[in-house]
Amino acid sequence: MATRKQRAPVQYVQLDGLVVLKLIKHCQEEGAGGTDLVQGVLLGLVVDNRLEITNCFPFPRHSEDQEDFNEVQYQMEMMRNLRHVNIDHLHVGWYQSTYFGTFINRPLIDSQYNYQDSIEESVVLIYDPLKTTQGFLSVKAYRLTPAMMKFHSENDFTTENITKHGMTFDKMFEEIPVVTKNSHLVNSLLCNLEEKDKEADKFNFLDLATSSMLQKNLRQLMECVDATTMDINKYLNCQRQIMRQQQAKQQYLQKRQQDNAMRAQRGEPPLPEEDLNKLFKPLQSPPRLDCLLYSGQIDNYCQQISSFSTQSLGKLFMAESLQNDGQSN
Amino acid sequence: MSRFFKAGSDSESETESSEDDEIIQQRPSAAPVQSRTFQFSDDEDDSRRIVRSAKDKRFDEMTNIIQQMKNHKQIKDMANVLNDFEALIKAADKAKKVIQEEGVPRFFIRCLFDLEEYANECWEDKEWRKSISKNNSKSFTSLRQKLKKYIREKYEKEVNDYKENPDHGDDDKRDETPAPQDEESEDEVDTPVKAPVKPKLPAPPVIKKQLPKSMDDDDDDDDDIDWDSSDDSVESDIDDEQFDTGKLTAEYFLKKSDSGTSKKEKKRKEPKQMKLEETDEEGDWEEVKGGAPLIMERPKMFGKDQEINVDAVLKKLYEITSARGKKGTDRNEQIELLKELREIAETNNLGLGIDVKLYFNIIGAIFDYNPNTLTSMRNDVWESCLSYLQTLLNILIDHPEVNVGEHIKEDDENLTEAPLYVRGCFLTLVEKMDEEFTKMLQSCDAHSTEYVERLQDERQVCDILEKTLRYLEIKGTTLEISRIYLKRIEHLYYKFDTSCVYTGDNEPKKEGTSEQTMDKLCKFLYTSETPDRLRTRAILCHIYHHALHNRWFQARDLMLMSHLQDNIGHSDIPTQLLYNRTLVQLGLCAFRQGNIRDAHNALVDIQSSNRAKELLAQGLLPNRQNERTPEQEKIEKRRLFPYHMHINLELLECVYLVSAMLLEIPFMAAHEMDVRRRMISKNFHHVMKMSERQTLIGPPESMREHVVAASKSMKTGDWKACKNFIINDKMNAKVWDLFFQPDKVRDMITVKIQEESLRTYLFTYSNVYDTLSLHTLAEMFELDMSVVHRIISKMIINEELMASLAEPTQTVIMHRTEPSRLQSLALQLSDKFLTLVENNERILEVKQGIYPFQNKRDRNDRQPGTSAAFQHHTQGEGYGPPTSKSVTNNQHWNRRNNKNYSRESRNY
Repeated sequence: MATRKQRAPVQYVQLDGLVVLKLIKHCQEEGAGGTDLVQGVLLGLVVDNRLEITNCFPFPRHSEDQEDFNEVQYQMEMMRNLRHVNIDHLHVGWYQSTYFGTFINRPLIDSQYNYQDSIEESVVLIYDPLKTTQGFLSVKAYRLTPAMMKFHSENDFTTENITKHGMTFDKMFEEIPVVTKNSHLVNSLLCNLEEKDKEADKFNFLDLATSSMLQKNLRQLMECVDATTMDINKYLNCQRQIMRQQQAKQQYLQKRQQDNAMRAQRGEPPLPEEDLNKLFKPLQSPPRLDCLLYSGQIDNYCQQISSFSTQSLGKLFMAESLQNDGQSN
Repeated sequence: MSRFFKAGSDSESETESSEDDEIIQQRPSAAPVQSRTFQFSDDEDDSRRIVRSAKDKRFDEMTNIIQQMKNHKQIKDMANVLNDFEALIKAADKAKKVIQEEGVPRFFIRCLFDLEEYANECWEDKEWRKSISKNNSKSFTSLRQKLKKYIREKYEKEVNDYKENPDHGDDDKRDETPAPQDEESEDEVDTPVKAPVKPKLPAPPVIKKQLPKSMDDDDDDDDDIDWDSSDDSVESDIDDEQFDTGKLTAEYFLKKSDSGTSKKEKKRKEPKQMKLEETDEEGDWEEVKGGAPLIMERPKMFGKDQEINVDAVLKKLYEITSARGKKGTDRNEQIELLKELREIAETNNLGLGIDVKLYFNIIGAIFDYNPNTLTSMRNDVWESCLSYLQTLLNILIDHPEVNVGEHIKEDDENLTEAPLYVRGCFLTLVEKMDEEFTKMLQSCDAHSTEYVERLQDERQVCDILEKTLRYLEIKGTTLEISRIYLKRIEHLYYKFDTSCVYTGDNEPKKEGTSEQTMDKLCKFLYTSETPDRLRTRAILCHIYHHALHNRWFQARDLMLMSHLQDNIGHSDIPTQLLYNRTLVQLGLCAFRQGNIRDAHNALVDIQSSNRAKELLAQGLLPNRQNERTPEQEKIEKRRLFPYHMHINLELLECVYLVSAMLLEIPFMAAHEMDVRRRMISKNFHHVMKMSERQTLIGPPESMREHVVAASKSMKTGDWKACKNFIINDKMNAKVWDLFFQPDKVRDMITVKIQEESLRTYLFTYSNVYDTLSLHTLAEMFELDMSVVHRIISKMIINEELMASLAEPTQTVIMHRTEPSRLQSLALQLSDKFLTLVENNERILEVKQGIYPFQNKRDRNDRQPGTSAAFQHHTQGEGYGPPTSKSVTNNQHWNRRNNKNYSRESRNY
C-alpha cells in the first residue's frame, strides 16, 4: 500500500471487455431496464499509471426479509473465492448504473470518499444503460479530486469552508479516460462475430427519435433547477436573518456605548461586559454541499443535452441529405 | 325481622332490625309520642328537684333542652333541633359522673329514641324533605348522622333495651308519672299555640292541608295538622293507656305510631269526616298493625263542603304551580294534580277560562316533566301531550271569544266573563312540542320500527301546526303568524311532492300543491316585518323546496338574490346547517338539470372537506385533532337532523365526483403542459391519486371506484366505457335510482359524457391529426353532426383548439400551433431558470449591501440575456422584454404562427 501511494496518480482506466459485459448483464437483469440503480465491486490492479479493471461482481440485491445480510462479509467471501480461481482480487472501486445521468448526489460522494479514503486509487464507474441501448456504450470513470477529498474530510460544508477550499461544482470530480481492452483471442472472436452481424443491428446509433430523450432530460434538469432554487431560497433567508441579526447587534452595541458614555459622565462604572454570542446566537448557515451537487448535476445534464443534440443534429443533417439524394434520384 | 324475635338476637342485629322496622312504619306519628316524653320530663322536674340536687341539676338541664327540642321538633325547625341535640349531648357529657353513679337516665334514652324515630320519620317523608329550605335540609341530614353515630357509639344498648322493653331498664317513678298527665299537659302546650295559629289562616285550612310540603310557611300548616290531630291523639292516648297504663312497651309505641300514621293519612284525606267518625276509625287502627307499607294516597283537592269556585281553583292552581321547578317536586304528581284539578273544575262547570288556563298549565307541566333537556319524552307522555294540545287547540278554535297571549298579564286575566283573557302562549307550546318531536326522533334508532312509529306522529304534529296556523291567522300578531308559518315551512320544505314537478308544459297547474303552499307562506314572511332569522330560514327552505322539485332557475335566482352566501357566516349554527343542506340540494338540482358546473360549484365546499356528514348535521364524525368535550358532543347531537330529513351522502358524493369528472378530465387534457397545474376539484384528484396508488386495480366495486374507472376511460376519449362505468346496474341501485325520474338523469349524463369525451379526445390527440372529419367524429361519439360542430366551434372560439373548420369538406383542419411537448418543457425550464437567476441576484444584493442592478433598465437589459437561448429557440425572433408567464409566451407564439399559417394557406 505504502509504495502504491507514492506512485503517480492513475492516468487512465483500462477496462476489460469482460467487465463491460458483466456490467451490462447485471444492469439488464436487475436494473429493470435502467430505472433501478445497480451497484457492484470492481476488481483489478494498478499498473504504472493505469488502473486495470479486470473483473467485477455485483452487490446482491437483498430483499427486506434478509435484513441480517452482511455485505462486507459477502464481499470478502466473494473476493476470497475469486482468488481461489486465480482472478484479480484487489478491490479497486465500484460501479453504479445511472438513469439519464443522474448520479451526482450525496450518497455517491460519501461512498466514493470512503473508497478513496481507504483505497487510494479506487474509481467509480458510471454506466448509462439507456445510452447503451441507443448504440453508444457509456461507461465513465470518476474520482474525487484531491481538493474535494480534503474538503470532504473536514466535513464542514459551510460557505466559508467552500471559499477557503475554492470549491466549485466542476472541481468535485475528475473524469478519468476509460480504455477498453480485450485480449487478442476476444478480438479475433469479435471479428468473426462482426461478419455474422446483420446490417440493421449495426446502425441503431442512427436512431433519429430525439424528442423523448430530450424531454426526459429536460424534466430531470427542471427538477434539479427546482431543487437549486429551493436551496438558494433557503440560503437567501438565512442571509437575511443574519443581516437582521447584525443590525440588531449593531444597535445593541451603540446603545451600550451611549449608556457607558452617560455613565462615565456621571462617574459611574461602565456596564459589565456581556457575552454577545449569548445574546445573539450565531445563526447556522445551511450546508452548501447540496447546492454544489445540484450545480454539478445541472452541469452534467447540460453537457449531456448538448452532446446529445450535437449528435442528433449531425444525424438529422445526414438524414436530410440522404433523403434529398433519394428524392433527386 | 319482626319485633317478636328481637329478644333473642344480639345487639347488632337488633339495631338493624329496628331500623328495618322503622323503615316499614313509614310515618310513625311524631306529635303524640313526643308530647308524651316532653310531658313527663317536664313534670318530673318539679318532683325531683327537691330530693337530689346534684343529680337533679344535671338532669334538669337536660330536660330543659329536651323540652326545647320538642318544641322545635314540632315546627320541624331542623336547624334548632340540631342545636338542641348538640346541647343535649354536651349536657350529657357534663352529667357523666351522675350518669355513672345513677345509670343512664331513662328520659334521656327515651329522648334519643324519640329523636331517632322522629328523624327517620322525617327522612321517609320525602316530599317534605324536598320542600324544605336548603339550610333546614342540611341541618336535618347532619342531625340524622350525628344522632345515629351518637347512639351507636354510646347508648346503643340502652336504646335497644329501651325499645324492647322500656320498663325493665328503669323502674323509676318518672316513667310512670307522666303517663296520666299526658293529655293534660299536652293540652296545655297545645292550646296556646293553637290559638294564634288558627286565625292566622284566612283560607280554609283544608285546602292547604294537602300541600304540607310547600316551603317555609308550611310550618304553619304542619302545626295546623298537628293541632287538628291533637284532639284525636288525646283520645287515642287514653285508649292506649287504658290497657297498659304507664307501661311504655315497644308494642305500645309501634301500635301508636301505626295508628298515628293511619290517622294522619285519613285525616289528610277527609279531615272533617274523620272527626265525625272517630270511633270507627279507632277500630281501624287496631287492624293496621305492624307498620305495613302504606301507600301514600293522593289527598283530595278540596274539602267536601268547600265551595269550589274560580278563586278556589285558581288558588289551588297557584299552589301547585308554585312548587314547579323546585328541587323536591314530583313532576309526575304535579301533572296528575293538575289533571285532577281540571276535572274538578270541569265537573263544577267553572267555565272555559279556567279550563283553558288549566290546559295551559297541564301542557306546561308535561313539558316540564323531563328535567334533562337531552333525553326525550316517554312515548305515553308524548301522546298525552299531543292529545292535550289537540283539545286545547280545538277549544281555542271553537271559542273565538277566548283570548290567549303572553302579553296578557296575570292580573289582567279574565276567566269568567265573556271576552275571556287567559295568559299563556299556545304558539310557544306548539314550538316546544315540535322541539320535543325532533328530540324523540333523534333519540330512537333510525332503522328501527320505533322510528317509523314515532314518525307517524308527524302527521298529527303537522295537523296541529296547520290548525294553529289557521287559528293564529285570525287571532295572532304578525310575529306570531310568522313563527307558525316558519314552523309549517320547516315541516314542509323537505318533503317531495310529485304533483309539484311539471312533466309537461301543457299540463294544467294543480291546485293545493306544496309548491303553492310554500310560495304563500314564504312570500308572507318575505313581505311582513319579521326578524331576519325567520326570513333567512324561510328563504333557505324555499330554495330547498324549489331545488327538490327541479325548479332550478327559481331556486338559483332566489339564492343569488338573497345574497345569503355573503352573510350566512354570521347567522346561528342551525341556520348555517340549513344553508348547507340547501346548497347541497341546489347542487343536486343543478346536476339533474344538466348544469354540471353549477352543480360542482355548489357541492365543492361541502365535499372538499370530507366532512359532508358533519356539515349537513347527519351524524358526528370522530374528531381526530381535538376531542370534543361531552358538552360539545351533546350540543352537536342535538343539532342533528332526524333521519327522514337526511340527504343521501353517497348520492351527494357520486354527483359531485361525476360532475368533477366531466369538468376536470377535459380540463386536464387541455392543460397538460401548464407549468402550474391548477385543479378544479382537489377532492377528485385525491380520489384519482388514491386509486393510482393501489397496486392492483380490480373491477370497480364501490361508487368511487366506478367513477375513477370511468374517468380513466374518459381520459382516452372512450366514452362508451366511461358511460358503462357510470351507468350500470350497480350504480343505478346505489345512486341513480334515488333520483326522481332517473331515466332523464341518466340520459343527461350520457349526453354529457359523450360531449366531454369528444372534447378530451380532441385535446389529447389533436397533435396526431392533420385533419379530422366531422362525420367520423360524430360517428365515433354517436353525436349529431350539429352537436359536434357546435362543440368544436366553441373550442376554436375559446382558443382551446387551434384549428379551423372547413365547411365544404366538413373537416377540422388542425393548425399544429400548439408547442410540442419538448417546446413547452423548454419554456417551463426557461421560467425556472429565470427565477433561479433572480434568486441568485438577490443573494448578491444581500451580500453586497448595495444594489447594482436595481434600476429597471439594467434588469431589462439583462433578462433577455439569461433566457435568450430559450426564447430564441421557441420564438424565433426576440421581441420585447419577456414576461415570465409562459402562458403569454404561448399566446404570442401561437398568434404569430397562426398568421404564418394563414399566410401559407393563402399561398397554397
